[in-house]
Amino acid sequence: MAQPFSGVRVVEVGGTVAVAGATKSLSDYGASVVAVESRAGGEVRRLPPFPEDVPHLDRGAFHLALNTGKRSVALDHTSASGLEVLGVLAAQSDLVVLHLPPGEARRVLDVVARLGDGGPITVTLAVHGLDGPFAERDENDLSLFAWSNRMFRHSFDGQEPLRYSAQVATLQWASTATAVAASAIWGRRRDGVRRQIEVGGVEALAGNVDNWFVPWSFTGADTPRPAGLSRAVYPNGLLRATDGYVSFFAANEPFFSRLCRGIGHPEFATDPRFTDPAQKPAHFDEFMGYLREYLSTRTRNQVFLELQSHGVMVAPVLDVGESFEDAQAVARGSYVRVQQPGMGEHTLAGPPFRLEGAWSVTPAPALGEHTAAVLSELGYSAEEQIALFRAGVTG
Amino acid sequence: MTSQLLAGIRAIDMTEVWAGPMGTSLLGDLGADVIRLESFPRPPAISRPLREGTAVPGDGPPYERAGSHHMANRNKRNIAVNIRDDAGAEVVRRLASAVDVLIEGYSAGTIEGLGLGWERLHAINPRLVMISMPGWGVDGPYRGYATLGSGLDATLGHMAVRGYPGGPEDQVPVMYHTDATGAVGLVTAVVAGLLRREETGEGCFIDMSQAEAFAWQLPALQAEWTMHRRLPPRLGNADPHVVPHGCYRAAGGEAGADAWVVIAAENDVQWAGVARAAGHPEWAEPPHPWASVIGRLRSRAEIDAALAAFAATGTAEGVAHAVAEAGGIAAPVIFHIGLMTSPQIAHRDWLQTVDHRYAGTQTLAGFLWQVEPDAPSWDLACGLVGEHNHEVLQELGYSTDEVAALLERGAIGDRYGQ
Repeated sequence: MAQPFSGVRVVEVGGTVAVAGATKSLSDYGASVVAVESRAGGEVRRLPPFPEDVPHLDRGAFHLALNTGKRSVALDHTSASGLEVLGVLAAQSDLVVLHLPPGEARRVLDVVARLGDGGPITVTLAVHGLDGPFAERDENDLSLFAWSNRMFRHSFDGQEPLRYSAQVATLQWASTATAVAASAIWGRRRDGVRRQIEVGGVEALAGNVDNWFVPWSFTGADTPRPAGLSRAVYPNGLLRATDGYVSFFAANEPFFSRLCRGIGHPEFATDPRFTDPAQKPAHFDEFMGYLREYLSTRTRNQVFLELQSHGVMVAPVLDVGESFEDAQAVARGSYVRVQQPGMGEHTLAGPPFRLEGAWSVTPAPALGEHTAAVLSELGYSAEEQIALFRAGVTG
Repeated sequence: MTSQLLAGIRAIDMTEVWAGPMGTSLLGDLGADVIRLESFPRPPAISRPLREGTAVPGDGPPYERAGSHHMANRNKRNIAVNIRDDAGAEVVRRLASAVDVLIEGYSAGTIEGLGLGWERLHAINPRLVMISMPGWGVDGPYRGYATLGSGLDATLGHMAVRGYPGGPEDQVPVMYHTDATGAVGLVTAVVAGLLRREETGEGCFIDMSQAEAFAWQLPALQAEWTMHRRLPPRLGNADPHVVPHGCYRAAGGEAGADAWVVIAAENDVQWAGVARAAGHPEWAEPPHPWASVIGRLRSRAEIDAALAAFAATGTAEGVAHAVAEAGGIAAPVIFHIGLMTSPQIAHRDWLQTVDHRYAGTQTLAGFLWQVEPDAPSWDLACGLVGEHNHEVLQELGYSTDEVAALLERGAIGDRYGQ
């Protein structure tokens, strides 16, 4: 069986985390992806960490994770000569995904548009979209998250809102682009329509869930964000076991009844002190006393296994080292090892979804590793390639 | 008519809460005919509360007016089926025989227990693409375990780095990001399954662990461990290599008194913009120690204090616009109303005004992408429970009398709490 996106030819332009993330799954599920990168190497190659903390364009964690299986062409797409090469590459592609400053993006889109209805689908990433009063602004992962309305609620009342960890917001945006790009590939096979798509970062995040805009727009009220445990709706949040914390989401039925059974107090499930919303807050300390007593003799994992056997939504809070040893991750092989040339073995997360024979991961390319090979495929002679190199167009 | 990228594809949504419902709404935005199979007679525990809660004030049942339901169930038809009833299970089997894709999000093993597992459905419809998306995947020692996004965040190591630097270990703001990740990941998985079917002529099964669907988006956190055996501390909004990169309290703003602005400069040019906006262009001119990347790294505390003072002089929006206009990176940390007041969002005509029988006319968040020539549109408002029972079942060949009998029996329904 072939990989699902086998035969799909993709060009990405921009060298950013967003664009590299957008094409990663297409690459890992079989597409042939050419990453067109600046000769200096873009953002995705410059983000840490690096092995031994030594910066290296071919060894950064985001590059290693997001550029798997791609070919790298180093090309100055801002020059007329580079843009011409990009146009030839686009003409032989099914999909062009780009993340560039709006002016540069429009020039690339113009070149693709000249290819007419037979040209590739385009997916353009821009934090605010390509038009509008904010379109030209510089943004990053932090400001994207702030604009998305999701950062505000990632805080406690009155305290500083926090981002998620580095580039999580950006990669959510990227994977949104993957979804619509994949759909456009499918759609074109069915109806032949070449679609032009724009994925705005703010819109991709604000339009998705993990977002309280709709409840607020419905009622005009924002739900409180108390630090620590709610005394009214419990137990939701983190509670200490003997070796660390366990995340609980067990205040709602049917989970609360199951929890009561799990900690050996099935009678609490019908006790109005703990079930009547009017009485429940006054008995917070009492209930938590019972729960903390249960937790005081058990590890995170014991609590997890015991309470899950009763159907309670709990999970151990693991550090990232522990997450690699997590029994589920080990049993499923959630992380894989890749032999990265020049570096040795490197660990990466495995497939985001499992379909037999569909996913494979191969090393990320060195910057410009495939410039000559790709230019030759496009029909450029050796003399022409030297001319482009000498003029500083390729690298 | 909405986008036609997935036109002709019929899908069943048997999921709850956010990740699956949102993902299947996205399939609807893309032109698929999505039938939401609503839990019955028990309402979905979290998204369809029987009490008012997050419901918009109004008449009619609260579970039709709940915000958590309305954010993720557009562009689908809705049928409500008791799948534990024999006649209800038969409805699901007949549906499965008539569609291209079935998506279920029960705890692993549940669907098999209902006689609706992959082998059974594949035998009924050999071309069916089935996706199971339990939190931790369909197999392994956590098979059958229940979770929300917060539990997945916990086992992936992300929760451990999310709280306030130096703050109490047991205090981490709530987030359900894996729901957003799972929603878009589901769309890609559906297309992959359809492409596989196109190649082989056979349906296929996809196991989508919502934990694994997010794990690949944490490469830096994971590499700190795999490269160096280091456990990164909670960093808050700071970046070890970028100064400034922070969130500062402003003197009010559209969000009210609790107003914040983020300010960052990834390079000298952006820093010059921040400095100009703050009224101190000399901060970016050598020999000022802050003019260089290294100088700024060595002056983190002083720069944070200077920007905190600057941010306190204006509204979050005013400070952010001044910095952005000058070429730095800045954004107000917008509260929900910020989506309503943003000139950019207005220019893009992004918010959607939607009419709903019980929720009335509401402003809802817009689409995740723009498509030409066939833009997404909000063709079907969030479905009422069982709203399309008759329509869908008659398409499956049930007579009017048979549908009435199913209703009478309680195998299907159109209201909760009776």
